[in-house]
Parts: sequence; structure tokens; C-alpha cells
Amino acid sequence: MIRALTTKRPEMTPFLLLTPALITMLFVVALPLVFSLWTSLTPYQLTKPQTIYSFVGLRNYTRLLTDPGFWIPFGRTVLFLTIALNLEFAFGLGIALLINKITWGQRGLRTIMMFPMMFSPILVGFQFKFIFNDNIGILNNALQSLGLTDQAIPWLVDAKLAMFSLLFAEIWMSTSVFAILLLAGLFAMPRDPLEAAKVDGCNAFQTFRHITLPFLMPFAYIAMTIRSLDVARAYDIVKVMTGGGPAGRTELLWTMIARTGYENAKMGQANAMAYISTVLSILFTWYFYRKLIAARRFMGGVQ
Amino acid sequence: MSAVVESRASKRAKSVALWIATFALMLVMCLPGLWVMLSGFRPNREILAKPPVWLPEALTLDNFGKIFGWGAEQIAIPVPAYFTNSLIIALTSTLIALAIGMAGGYAFARFRFRFKGGLFLGLMLFRAVPGVALSLPVFMLWSKLGLIDTKAGLIIVYVSLNVPFTIWLIDGFFRQIPLSLSEAAQVDGCTRWQAFWKIEFPLARSGIASAGVFAFLTSWNEFALASQLTRSTDSKTLPVGLLDFTAQFTIDWAGMCAMAVIIIVPALILTFVVQKHLIAGLTFGGVKG
Amino acid sequence: MAAITLEKVVKKYGALGVVHGIDLTIAHEEFVVLVGPSGCGKSTTLRMIAGLEDITGGLVKIGGQVVNDLPPRKRNISMVFQNYALYPHMNVRDNLGFGLKIAGQSPAEISKRVGEAAEILGLTPLLDRTPAELSGGQRQRVAMGRAIVRNPDAFLFDEPLSNLDAKLRGQMRAEIKKLHQKVRTTVVYVTHDQVEAMTLADRIVVMKDGHIEQVGTPMQVFNHPATTFVATFIGSPPMNLLPATISGGAVRLADGTAVPVPDRLTGHVRDGMAVLLGIRPDDISPVGHGLSQDGPGAEVALTVDLAEPLGMESLIYTRLAGQEVQAKLYGPRIVAPGEVLTFRLALDRAHLFDAATGKTVRAL
Ligand SMILES: Nc1ncnc2c1ncn2[C@@H]1O[C@H](COP(=O)(O)OP(=O)(O)OP(=O)(O)O)[C@@H](O)[C@H]1O
Ligand SMILES: [Mg+2]
Repeated sequence: MIRALTTKRPEMTPFLLLTPALITMLFVVALPLVFSLWTSLTPYQLTKPQTIYSFVGLRNYTRLLTDPGFWIPFGRTVLFLTIALNLEFAFGLGIALLINKITWGQRGLRTIMMFPMMFSPILVGFQFKFIFNDNIGILNNALQSLGLTDQAIPWLVDAKLAMFSLLFAEIWMSTSVFAILLLAGLFAMPRDPLEAAKVDGCNAFQTFRHITLPFLMPFAYIAMTIRSLDVARAYDIVKVMTGGGPAGRTELLWTMIARTGYENAKMGQANAMAYISTVLSILFTWYFYRKLIAARRFMGGVQ
Repeated sequence: MSAVVESRASKRAKSVALWIATFALMLVMCLPGLWVMLSGFRPNREILAKPPVWLPEALTLDNFGKIFGWGAEQIAIPVPAYFTNSLIIALTSTLIALAIGMAGGYAFARFRFRFKGGLFLGLMLFRAVPGVALSLPVFMLWSKLGLIDTKAGLIIVYVSLNVPFTIWLIDGFFRQIPLSLSEAAQVDGCTRWQAFWKIEFPLARSGIASAGVFAFLTSWNEFALASQLTRSTDSKTLPVGLLDFTAQFTIDWAGMCAMAVIIIVPALILTFVVQKHLIAGLTFGGVKG
Repeated sequence: MAAITLEKVVKKYGALGVVHGIDLTIAHEEFVVLVGPSGCGKSTTLRMIAGLEDITGGLVKIGGQVVNDLPPRKRNISMVFQNYALYPHMNVRDNLGFGLKIAGQSPAEISKRVGEAAEILGLTPLLDRTPAELSGGQRQRVAMGRAIVRNPDAFLFDEPLSNLDAKLRGQMRAEIKKLHQKVRTTVVYVTHDQVEAMTLADRIVVMKDGHIEQVGTPMQVFNHPATTFVATFIGSPPMNLLPATISGGAVRLADGTAVPVPDRLTGHVRDGMAVLLGIRPDDISPVGHGLSQDGPGAEVALTVDLAEPLGMESLIYTRLAGQEVQAKLYGPRIVAPGEVLTFRLALDRAHLFDAATGKTVRAL
């Protein structure tokens, strides 16, 4: 049947090939999103099934938008991502430049560099919960043994330190993504423009700033796009390390969604939050994808 | 003359210093992970000891014995069942996602059609929906459909989670293969279908394998959705099972570390096997328009 | 018998037409070369013959059979691609034998025919290498071997030599010519290199913007270009074209210079007609330094603007009737810019084109 269809209307072939992909995406993502949208317009609570039929319009959203209890974790999430992504990019770039300079044992280093990428986020969370543990964690043990502090530092209990610990875990997990893609970019970099710049009298920094960095940007955007697809993995880390605590001081958008939806059973409200976080993620991905396409066009002219 | 020698020597020293610095940096990067893995081979009492024991006196497999029920002692957490679930779910969803992704990736790489750019972007954006956010409606729908706490329920979700990225990667790999190869095969007497299996597929095979590894890792490591959609040993996966430890009265750190080893080792092996293609895939798919 | 016939063949991509109704008959065992500038639709035409491109309108026949709806594998043709399209994961032997294997030939038959093809092309010592281990010329040869091994009704070549350096290109050109003499088959060969076209073709098809401008033997196309486009496209340096009008049996150029209408064309022009006088650089030479010294000619004194000595000849840039023209000087004489020389125009080899249509005024 497929063959008959494709020979009769060849222009349909690609759509036929894409049908399974589209069906899964529609069934598992689009349909639930529609359902989620509806739920977010009701006061649905898991414990009161009837509430899913009472339409309340945008009440959940207006309530959220006027609630500091929502805005604070929201702002914290944005701040968290901004810091994490910028540092991941900076560290990743640094590591890529270092490894690019090295000739002996480069392959081995490259492989080692991918090590953190293989860790499940939940594992990363657990790992740092173990390391930052105020009682048995290696970090406190080391600090105390070295006599740098006599008190155990409450890494995961103090609000500020806990935020720092979470960031640390997040950055540890994802810096490799940037490092690897930027390194691939450095490998792909043509030599001529670098040499031309040298002949034109650029110093090392100028060469980097005007030649290397622009060339690397598409690779940075790939990394950003890939990262933006799963920034919400930070949920796993927070869930294990602090559970959003102490007293909600490390609550991020995603842990808040889970708490509202599953622990407090307020599905209507949780879905409204989920929708906001979805739109945020999509905008974020879209933004970097557009940048990627633009950078790619620009590069297309060069190559 | 001597200046040349000197500068060569100093250059050498510089490169050695650079190498040591980089290596040290990598070591520091790996240390947290290595520490956890090492702790999986230490007895719990050594981990809890005060003052801390820095150099493990003896490494032991006891923790794994307890997990798999080899020794006299056995922990209450059914890790072997979780392991089996994880394996079945990750493998099945990977195979399905690969089949779907190969068809889709081929379509994007080889055909011009209306809405192509839009469809591609749309797939990517679907993938961007945060796991927790997606888990809410999926949880409600799956409850209605009786898919909660079934392997099938999780497999379906993971397939759709993996399809967009698989398409991205595979599209990139197919695009590297000149169209004229398939055309030459067709002139040589192949149908398009034969040309695909005899020429294009073998050439993209390693790339497709790495896309498979990526999909496998995503499913193997996923937590946010699995933690809501699974309940019992019927479908719970390793990442969800890891949290079982925290629910116990005293935390069995050594057991958790051993379980971490069990989760990470398959991922490590797979990634090392395909790492070269993985990097190539990510960049080809992205950079080459 | 495998003649190839195109009848009113049209190709459109959506609304964009790229081939506009081509009629062409290629005889059995004939070597036909399609030439034309980049983007004129040569490859598209070839690919429609191969079955790699849908035919929007018209008919393509191979050996008398309409093949419009046949997939490539049912047309019994073979094709050599510009980038060779060798299968990178197979060695030379398997590349050559792939088509036979797909056709279900026995291993013995495959190895016999692969051996023969390899012998013809000198590939025997390379049979166990992969394409990555071959030089450009060797890859080219494997691609040709893959084409001949199946004994197809026709060979299609799409710029097969354009990825080779100049020297190798000349060498391979000769090999293709020899190959065609050994393996007599219908050949359709696409190139934009006019030297290839002139040396290889039994007949040349000059294309422009999806139309055929002229079909003819290399000598016909060179000596009797049907249009100004063909006149300037074939031949290097290109033919000079000078705007003129016919008056009183003479061709009067823009500045009033008059030369007689060439004898063979007198019956084809009328007074007041706007024409273009076409004359190749080889046919404008200083007196005593030209190719042909006899036959009807006209002499004019011209100032040399620039001379490019090329050894035994020089290319001269000068100005005739206010327009830059190129001329040739044969012989080892050095000319300086500013020098005034008497040039002889070999009028028996000049052409007249209708200025309005660009078509030659002589009916072919
Ligand atoms: N898939 C396509 N979609 C739209 N237009 C196309 C497509 N393929 C080719 N064209 C257009 O068709 C025209 C003819 O292309 P074709 O490849 O036949 O040219 P050509 O004569 O072989 O040129 P060249 O010497 O550069 O190979 C070109 O203007 C080209 O832009
Ligand atoms: Mg072409």
C-alpha cells in the first residue's frame, strides 16, 4: 500500500515517512498539552475528580501572576539558569581551548571530558548530596582534616550555600556539553583565516576575539539549543539534593510544579505553572534555534 | 644558536606545564564521580567513620552482593527488578525511536517538502517541554488509560521523548552521504528501498548507532517522568529506585553508591564505544544546513 | 538498438520551468555532447533520461520504448556522476560488480565481467582497494568501469572530468574516446567545457536557458553557428560581433566602414536590414600574418590597444567601428600598443546574424 501511494504521489513520500514520528509526538506531547491547557483552566484537584469539569477561565493564571510564592521561585529559576548557562559556556570554552592546544594524549583527555555527561541527573544530585553532606561528605571531611574549618559547613542546609551547591552540581553535569561541541568547532576551524589574521598583525587576543569566537558561535548555539531542550533536568538534581528546601529557599519552578500537583494534588494550579514553564522552555529553545539557523547561514557564505 | 635551543626548551616546558594543568583539571572534573563510584566498593561503616578514613583499607564487593542477594545479607530494595525494568524499557524505547527516527531523519535529509523547516522546529520544540510539566497531563491521561505503572506506559513516553533528537542526529548523518550514491545505486538496478538498505544505511550505520546510544542514555537516565508514572517493581526504573534508599530510616550510603555504579557503568561503556560518532553527529546535524 | 528520443520534453520545479520542450534524437551508438553555460538545464535533461528526475511533460524514449514512468533500474542505462559516486564501503571489485549482483548474476559471471571491465580500464591491480585509496583519475576510471560492466543500452555522463586537474582531464578525455571506440554504445555526455565537446562528440547539442540552440557535428557548430549565442559560446576567444546595417550590397558598420556582403550570403539579405557581423579573431589578422591570405577580404587600418604574445601567435586587442575586437597575429612578430597595422578581414569566413532575432541569416 505504501509503495502504491509513493509511486502515485511521490510528493507524499516524506510525509509518509514522517507519519510515525508525528503520531507519537501528537499522542504523547500535543494531546497531553491540550489536556494540560484545559486542566489549567479548571480548579481540578486529584482528590475531587468532579472539579475537572468546572471552567474557571484564567483564574489559576491570574492567581499565580499575583502571588509572590510563584514569582520568587520563578525569578530564582531564571537566575539559576542564567548563571549556570553562562558559567557552563565560559568553562566549556576554557576547557575546549586548553585541550585544543594539547597534542599528546588529546584523545584520552577528550574521552575523560565526556565523563560527567554520562551521569544521570538524578545520579549527579545524589553524588553531590553525598559529597556536600555536612556529616560524612568528603568536602567537609577534607576541609576539617586540613584545618580550614572546625565546624561542619551546612552546604545543603543553609539557603545560600544550598543554592551554590545546586549550581555546582548543575554546572558539573553540563559543562562537558559545551566543551565537547566547542572543541568540535575548534577542530573544524579552517587555518587560513587564523594565519591571515596573524599576517594582518592581530595579537593572540584579537585573533581569538575576531576570528575564533565568531567561528565558534554556531557551535555554541548548537550547545545552547541542545541544553535548552533539557534545562528542566535540573529538577532531578534539586529533587534529590534539597527537595526545594530548606523552607522552600531552593525551590525552582519545576519542583514547585511537582509539589503543587502531586503532593498538594492541586492539578489545576500545577498545570497552569507547567504551562508557564513550557512556554518559557519553548521560547528559550526557539530563540537559540533561530540564532543557530542565522549563524549557519552566515557560515554558509564563508565555507 | 643557544637562544634557539633555549626557546625550544622553554616551549617544551610550557607545553608540559599546559599538559599537566589540563590533566589536573580533568582529574578534578572527574573526581566527584570517581569518589562516588569508589565508595560503592567500601563498607558503609568506613564511609560513616569519624575521623574519616581517607585511604580505603580494602575494597569489597559486599554492597553489590547485598543488592543482588548473593551473600547472607540482602537489602530490602529490589534492585535487580529495577535493573531489568530499566533495561527492557530503555532498549525497547530506543529501538522504536530509532525506527521512527530513521524514517523521519531520512525524510528531512532527502526530500524537499512543504513546511519542512516548520516541522523540524516543531519537533524540537515539542522536545523542549520540561519533563515535570509534561508528567502532569500524561499522568492524568495514563491513569485513565490504565498505563500507570506499566512498562508500556513509560516506553511510549520515552519513544516520543527520543524521536526529535534522533531525527536531528540521523538527518545529519544522512545528509553527509551524497545523494548521488543512492542515485548511482538506482541506476545500477536498485529500487529506492534497496538503495537505502544497501548503500545509505551501511554508510550511516555508525551514526545511527550513536543516535541509538543517545536515546538509550536518555531513557536509562530519565527521572522526572518515571518517578510519577511508575509505582512498583512492575515498572520502576533504576533512577527512581535510587530514591528508595532515602526513604529508609538510616541512609545506606554504600548501597546507594553501589547502585550508582550499576547505573553508570552501562552508560560509560556505551558512550565510550560511540563517542567519536556522537560528537560528529551532534555537530553535523547542527552546523551543516 | 538503443536510440534515445526526446519529444517536447519539459521540466518544471513547481512554477519554475528549467527545460522548455526539447526535441532531440540520438542515434544508436552515437556520442552526443550537451554543452551550455551553467544552469542551462543540461544535467536536468540528462537526469530525466536516466529517470532520476520526473518528466513534467513530453516523452523520453529509449530504444523506441517510452520510459517516462520507468524507474532508473528498468531503463538499462548507466551513468557516471560528476563526483563519481563510488560506494565508499565497497572495494573496487564490489563497486564494479554491484549492479550485476543486484541483477542476480552468478558469482562466476560477475567475476568474469568485472575482470573484463577492469582489464579494459587498467584497473586490475586496484581491484581490492577502497575508493578512499584511489587517486582522482583512478576513481574516474572505476566509475566508468561500473558503467560499462553492465552492458547498458546507453552511457550517461554528467561532467565526469570536471573534478580532475587540466592534465589528467586531457588524458581521461582521450581514454573516454578510446573506450567509446571499443565499447560501441549510445553516449550522452554533459559538459560545459567546449574542448571536451569538440573533441568527443559525434554531434554537439548547444543548450541555453532550457532550449536547444543548435544541434550539429562539431565542425557544423563551429563553422556555421546558428545563433549569436552559439557563435560566442563555441570557440575561444569568442567570435567578435559588430552591429551593422545592410545598404547597397555592403555591410555598413556603426562608424560608416563598409565591407562587402560575403558572396555566399548575398541572396539572403535585403537593404536596410539590421545585422551583426560575426567574425572570429582568427579571421582578423594583420596582412601577411593571417591564416588565409586568399579569398575575398577587406582591409582596414586599426590601432593596436594591447597585444598578448603567445609564442607563435599573438592575441591583439583593437578597436573596430568603436567597438573592442580581438584579432590574431600569426608568426613571431612583436607588436607594440599604439602601432597602426592594416588588418585583413577574411570575409568568406564571416557570418551575418539578424540583429533582431540573433539567428544566422544563412539558412542552414
Ligand atoms: N531541485 C531543484 N529545484 C529547483 N530548481 C532546480 C532544481 N534543480 C535544478 N534547478 C534549477 O534548474 C536549472 C538547471 O539546472 P541544471 O542542474 O540542469 O543545470 P546545468 O546545466 O547542469 O548546470 P551546471 O553546468 O552548473 O551543472 C538551474 O537554474 C537550477 O537552479
Ligand atoms: Mg550540471
